[in-house]
Amino acid sequence: MSLAAALGLGPAALALIIFGLMLVLMALRAPIAISMAIAGALGYAAQAGWAPLLSFLNDQAFARFASYDLSVIPLFILMGHFATQGGLSKALFAFASVLMAPFKGGLAMAAVLASAAFGSICGSSVATAATITSVALPEMQRHGYSGRLSTGALAAGGTLGILIPPSVPLVIYAILAEQNIAKLFAAAVVPGVIAMLGYMVAIAIYVRLRPEHAPQVTADANRDRMTRALVAGVVPIAIVFSVVFCGIYGGWFTPNEGAAIGAACTLLAAVAKRELTFDKLAQAFYATAEATAMIFLIFIGADLMNSALALTQLPNQLAGLVQGWGWAPVTVVIAMLLFYMVLGAVMDELSMLLLTIPIFFPIVNGMDFGMPQESVAIWFGILVLMTVGFGMLAPPVGLNVYVVNSMTKDTPIAESYRGVMPFLISDALRMAAVICFPGIALGLVRFVS
Amino acid sequence: MTRALDLLVRQCARMCALVGGLLLVGIMLMTCASVIGRNLLERTLVGDFEATGLACGVAIAMFMPWCQLRRGHILVDFFTARASLSTVAWLDRCGALLLALCLAGLAWRSTAGGLNAYANFSTSMLLSVPHWWVYAGMVPPLVLTALIGVFQAVWPNAFSIASSGATA
Repeated sequence: MSLAAALGLGPAALALIIFGLMLVLMALRAPIAISMAIAGALGYAAQAGWAPLLSFLNDQAFARFASYDLSVIPLFILMGHFATQGGLSKALFAFASVLMAPFKGGLAMAAVLASAAFGSICGSSVATAATITSVALPEMQRHGYSGRLSTGALAAGGTLGILIPPSVPLVIYAILAEQNIAKLFAAAVVPGVIAMLGYMVAIAIYVRLRPEHAPQVTADANRDRMTRALVAGVVPIAIVFSVVFCGIYGGWFTPNEGAAIGAACTLLAAVAKRELTFDKLAQAFYATAEATAMIFLIFIGADLMNSALALTQLPNQLAGLVQGWGWAPVTVVIAMLLFYMVLGAVMDELSMLLLTIPIFFPIVNGMDFGMPQESVAIWFGILVLMTVGFGMLAPPVGLNVYVVNSMTKDTPIAESYRGVMPFLISDALRMAAVICFPGIALGLVRFVS
Repeated sequence: MTRALDLLVRQCARMCALVGGLLLVGIMLMTCASVIGRNLLERTLVGDFEATGLACGVAIAMFMPWCQLRRGHILVDFFTARASLSTVAWLDRCGALLLALCLAGLAWRSTAGGLNAYANFSTSMLLSVPHWWVYAGMVPPLVLTALIGVFQAVWPNAFSIASSGATA
């Protein structure tokens, strides 16, 4: 007889204990992956016994690490770090800032534009934010932009990488929900572009209300400088993006292969720019190692946690319970998104996805939205990803805000959080729009066979 | 912690990360060859999917030591933001020890899994690569990661390089 049964614990009580243990460990600064692994392992052993736990673990690392499906993640990360080390970002921002110079708050808009463009070849929103910050922040400070506006715009710009393909969170959702990666990429394009435009509108409105944050910058646009920036930054990125996505949608290769091809093209572009020394190549490997190891340890932890929760039978019962409430399907989705916003305030977004999608997705999948099931899965995925982006900006723990803020010397974190407010409003409006009009996400998917 | 040990462990972790990176570059080149061959030369590369998965397995395990050395694993510092520095340092030592425990467990079980694979002659479908090779490539970096966790628990200032500051 198992320990759990001996203590007479019901499924809900057990699940709560397991979840609570995880939260306590997390609150005490244990790495999130480890908190999930320990709570999950103890919960699993308490229900099934030690021997099944040990044999479950025998192949866990092998199954997760040596998986073809998941190989797309390190390759997209590698691609992003080749782009970061390859020096494409500086020319990209130079071009964007000339392009946006006629507008009030043009440099902040340029930061958003450059982030969106960089996000189209970089799968990580944190890497995008850090890369564009390193080239854009000095310029913005030199022209007297306030720390509030510049860090806010840069942190927000980074989250565009979550929607604009390729995107690691998008790939992870696709894998968890067993959906077609190419279709999800297509679904994310229009919301991604809307997000970019929405951020620019947010900047335009903000600098009209508070002009002291963004002094007028006189554009020194000479044609020579524009051309050089175009060739050095914009063209290589456009080529890499076109090769990868024409290849995927033209049926030449799969998204998984696209990640490898994209990494190779980005490496070529960096080599062609003669920016990539052996030292920078090694830096790209180290950065890839850090980001990849972090994600895959979270995979292991979430696996243990999910197995323990599945043993309690609570996830199965939850679906029936929710249906029993008789809520409208859209209400259930909105409740889930609100739950994500609350949980996202104390947890990192990736762990949150890995823990909740296996539980939430079957519930959503079982409801009737008047759309085909696949459309529901894709629409829900885009909504969840937008919530993830929101969580990376929102206080008290917005990862992107931390990363950007840590690169400034004189801006308090509270100022940065004030700076992201206009962008959070823009996020919320866009989320409401996609909930009301799923066509925003699903429009392009029809063209993917 | 002596400087020699610090340096040795750091170099090992670096080496692992570089090997992992090179494995990814290898996957990248092989995939390019496969895609070009299939689309332009009408030749298929048999088993490229399999090789990608297997090489990726070793690469990801090789990334683990460097990530822990840099304290790259994401953690929540919201609830301890007001705690004193010494409390935080003490909690971080416990965290490193817990991580070491988990990684040691994972290494132990992966060794058992690898021995099973060896005993059962389990191989990949197309290329017949013995699965235990992958386990054998995964276990040493997992052990190294556990060791790094132990060092960080015993000597809080071990590998004290500017942390990448991953927090959630």
